[in-house]
Amino acid sequence: MQIKRRNFFKLAAVGAGSVVISPRPTRAERKKAGDSFACLVDTSRCIGCRKCEQACNEINNLPEPARRFDDLTVFDSARRPDARRFTVVNRYHSGRIDDAGLLVADYVKIQCMHCLDPSCASACVTGALSKHDNGAVHYDVSKCIGCRYCMMACPFEIPAYEYHNPLTPRVMKCNFCEEQFTRQHKAPACATICPTEAITFGKRTTLLQLAKKRLAKYPARYEQHIYGEHEAGGTAWLYLARVPFKKLGFLTLPSNPLPRLSELIQHSLFSYLWSPALLFALLGGIMYRNRAKNDSGEGHKQSGGVS
Amino acid sequence: MRQIHLQILMLMVLTCTYTTWVYAATTGEQWVAPAQEKALRRAQAVVPMVKEVKQEGAIRRSQRLHALGVSVRDVKDSYFVLNSPFIKAVEDHYGAVRFNHGQHAAESGDCTICHHLRAKTATPAKNGDKPLETQRCSACHQQAFNPDYPERLGLKAAFHQRCIPCHEQRHKGPQTCRGCHLNNVPDHKKLVKLPDNADALQVTAECLRCHETAANDLQHSAHWLWRGPSTHTQDHENSVRHGKGTTALNNY
Ligand code: SF4
Ligand code: SF4
Ligand code: SF4
Repeated sequence: MQIKRRNFFKLAAVGAGSVVISPRPTRAERKKAGDSFACLVDTSRCIGCRKCEQACNEINNLPEPARRFDDLTVFDSARRPDARRFTVVNRYHSGRIDDAGLLVADYVKIQCMHCLDPSCASACVTGALSKHDNGAVHYDVSKCIGCRYCMMACPFEIPAYEYHNPLTPRVMKCNFCEEQFTRQHKAPACATICPTEAITFGKRTTLLQLAKKRLAKYPARYEQHIYGEHEAGGTAWLYLARVPFKKLGFLTLPSNPLPRLSELIQHSLFSYLWSPALLFALLGGIMYRNRAKNDSGEGHKQSGGVS
Repeated sequence: MRQIHLQILMLMVLTCTYTTWVYAATTGEQWVAPAQEKALRRAQAVVPMVKEVKQEGAIRRSQRLHALGVSVRDVKDSYFVLNSPFIKAVEDHYGAVRFNHGQHAAESGDCTICHHLRAKTATPAKNGDKPLETQRCSACHQQAFNPDYPERLGLKAAFHQRCIPCHEQRHKGPQTCRGCHLNNVPDHKKLVKLPDNADALQVTAECLRCHETAANDLQHSAHWLWRGPSTHTQDHENSVRHGKGTTALNNY
């Protein structure tokens, strides 16, 4: 059998059809589910005590850190969340000074932003990462094949990989303490322990209103921007700051969700496995044709020999 | 004369110790000062939440209280233990803070720094008292993240957000976690495991089971290594050969 141009287009059309009937909820549908949980991190309230790091370590049974949680000299260098810690607090000197003219530090807690339209989940070919309606971007280790596409896709460079664990490596990132609020109606461990309520836990719409109220009530205290309201299509973790976000290590990101294009291409390619099926059909066709050719060629040679 | 004074003092100290000991021995409890007991009881009390507050600016409020004659002189209770069930319900990281209300009032001279708002309808005056213009922190600030009052701080954050900046700005009072908080020491009755009639070395070994780091730290400190004259050793005021670092017996 030879694959003709017409047949190729027929197959492609079947593939495209399956994309249209794909059961994955569209972005609009996901937005409508809307009132999911979120956290508002008001960096102007953060005192850099690192209790959130400690609480996160304890609730997730993460390994003991090299330096104790009350060691504040860790602030001397910038840190990133990694396979051993889901959240870190960093110190920044933006040039802000207090009444006495002394430099004042700003502290910023970072962790997975739990994007509304997560790039990591779009990049994940097996669906090991998925956005839950409650707001959390969930990682399912049983589906993960360790390709680490998520690490490359995440605009915030959050997912980390357990390179030190050769047998059962996992992708590691903040899980939003999802079980805390789904099972026990409690706030995430970091929000609960924070002494100053620098982390407020609640529904995203409520927190956005709250953030806007704070911006309006204390205009001199805050940069008039809510980081995460629109960045990367919106995130569940929102931030307020005293100084421009750029000075606190925040990336300037476009407001359209980054994964739309990659997701469209990838999910069109992989849904119902039509593209590998097509590829193998194509390869099979070529093999079949070549064999048919060779057969007839040999016959020709043989007949030539005889004559 | 001085001798007699000293003797009386000694007698008083001994009597106090003895009374405490007899009290503990007969009741099986430790004696607690009445003020402490009252503060502990007060800390457990939960009052109904204030839903609506009187809207007034800080300066306006301060002036109004001044005009009403409400001042720090009206402080009734001068000692609190900040140990609310609202906080303990969700976490138990540190021991409670002992808060000297009277001293804070006297230092600041202005009730409204902490009592920044009050309920919309003031509690009416009771037998000759002034109407209540101030309420306890936990009347408004209770559980954190109450979805019905998203802008309202929980009690723990209300404390920290009020205390920390003030201590920093005024360069007064403790500036570290442990400066205010007692360590949350677990009940050692359940932790210590010793045979009956344990000897001294067994006791030391049992302490070291958990506190090895502390023991190592101690051995590098002046408490272990001091040498030289001591104000408490007679006739050796100028000697540098004595001390735990040299001749004295080192033990825990
Ligand atoms: S921050 Fe990164 S890891 Fe977290 S949801 Fe967004 S894309 Fe995924
Ligand atoms: S939400 Fe939970 S997992 Fe995420 S940073 Fe906070 S404590 Fe850690
Ligand atoms: S616990 Fe709160 S105040 Fe402390 S470092 Fe974390 S976010 Fe900041």
